[in-house]
Amino acid sequence: MAICTVYTSHSLNSTCSIPTPTKTYLGFNQKQVIFFTTSKRSNRRGSSYSTEISCAAEKTVVIGLAADSGCGKSTFMRRLTSVFGGAAEPPKGGNPDSNTLISDTTTVICLDDYHSLDRTGRKVNKVTALDPKANDFDLMYEQVKALKEGIAVQKPIYNHVSGLLDPPELIKPPKILVIEGLHPMYDARVRELLDFSIYLDISNEVKFAWKIQRDMAERGHSLESIKASIEARKPDFDAYIDPQKQYADAVIEVLPTTLIPDDNEGKVLRVRLIMKEGVKYFNPVYLFDEGSTISWIPCGRKLTCSYPGIKFNYGPDAYYDNEVSVLEMDGQFDRLDELIYVESHLSNISTKFYGEVTQQMLKHADFPGSNNGTGLFQTIVGLKIRDLYEQLIASRTGAPLEASKVK
Amino acid sequence: MATTLTGVSLSTTVVAKADSARIQPLRSSCLNHPWKLNHVKVGRMSVRTMVAPDSLSEKVSQSIEEAKETCADDPVSGECAAAWDEVEEVSAAANDARRKKKEADSDPLEVYCKDNPETDECRTYDD
Repeated sequence: MAICTVYTSHSLNSTCSIPTPTKTYLGFNQKQVIFFTTSKRSNRRGSSYSTEISCAAEKTVVIGLAADSGCGKSTFMRRLTSVFGGAAEPPKGGNPDSNTLISDTTTVICLDDYHSLDRTGRKVNKVTALDPKANDFDLMYEQVKALKEGIAVQKPIYNHVSGLLDPPELIKPPKILVIEGLHPMYDARVRELLDFSIYLDISNEVKFAWKIQRDMAERGHSLESIKASIEARKPDFDAYIDPQKQYADAVIEVLPTTLIPDDNEGKVLRVRLIMKEGVKYFNPVYLFDEGSTISWIPCGRKLTCSYPGIKFNYGPDAYYDNEVSVLEMDGQFDRLDELIYVESHLSNISTKFYGEVTQQMLKHADFPGSNNGTGLFQTIVGLKIRDLYEQLIASRTGAPLEASKVK
Repeated sequence: MATTLTGVSLSTTVVAKADSARIQPLRSSCLNHPWKLNHVKVGRMSVRTMVAPDSLSEKVSQSIEEAKETCADDPVSGECAAAWDEVEEVSAAANDARRKKKEADSDPLEVYCKDNPETDECRTYDD
């Protein structure tokens, strides 16, 4: 959208190679300025043309987040940006249907914006959005690479309301770029650009339960239609989305509980955090003793839990061909003191102060999953990413690495 | 003749008004898809104007009907998968629009404080 300002940024900073704009939107200048200066909170309408682009001053750290549609990516993003401080918001004054979220440190872009076929195009070609044929990986690679190198890009916008590709929006290189969507680890070139990658692996039972929650109120939907949609998409999901988890540095697996025999309600969840060993700047979380196999039921004399209780498992494992550590939580929290009790028994969680995990969880108690392992592990992964980011930056500036570590 | 003239002058005013209020080049695709106009039209600052969730709801039920029809012939075809994929996409969009509408309808301070409870303006005092 901010096409007028492209001229400004271009002329101000000649080292940036910004694509030449093809259209000029006259009579929109004022709004463009406001949009462009959103990174500075204090700027208001009528402020000067103080456009600043930090070209290559500091390399952008790129994080990939993969998951199917409707599987909690946006909740995860809200938790992640919250850990970095400040809420992420859509670009001000831009396309109201933009999929981008921007906070002080982080920009989250949705990879649906790289659809090469719009809704009608997919229908005509008989392909789903999961199919690589419906996506432009060349452009995705070029733009993520440019952002990583500190160069602003004009990123297309896929409009989920209309199903069409809207005019592009300007994305400036942030400190942290999160690319979330169906295929962040599909293309080897894009994968190579990721400093850290996460895959949200939602089991079919849970996916079904979540989509019932999301869609049942919608007119026209029924249990059958929800099931039919999941099943019809499954072959493509299995072929193109699921295999990406082998490349992920962290996988959050969401399964039905085993604490309640034959439970298929999908309300109580068993969540596993699978962490790859040997990833630079990422030290897996552990319970009690690193590398041992532990089974822990925190409920007992010190902590009273209601039915069905809480159970933790931790231990080394293999995932695809990788050595991993797995932390598992089955059940849900009733009260805060359960969470702080659990937090105090976990190590390597990269908190900056005692109780930070609990504080984050409390802050967003209204987000889905705040009382179970999905919220807990999303928050922990957020803290691990903050730690990774700080270590990466410290390594680039040559400062001692140990400084950023507390626990 | 008089009626025609009235009609002409009326449409001219509308065009002029629209021109000053919004981005100029309307892509031809917008004209073919009238629902798009709903959000392009109101480009006012940060006020997020949503397509009425109603029209998206309609799109959801319409795409479900289409998917059922498409899959009646061949349930394992690419066509069938694409049709159900569209159902997933518009269902997600409808859910998103509902959430945004809920946020837009509620107190903006409350929405802000939900994400920033530690800031001064979001403090609550018991006494």
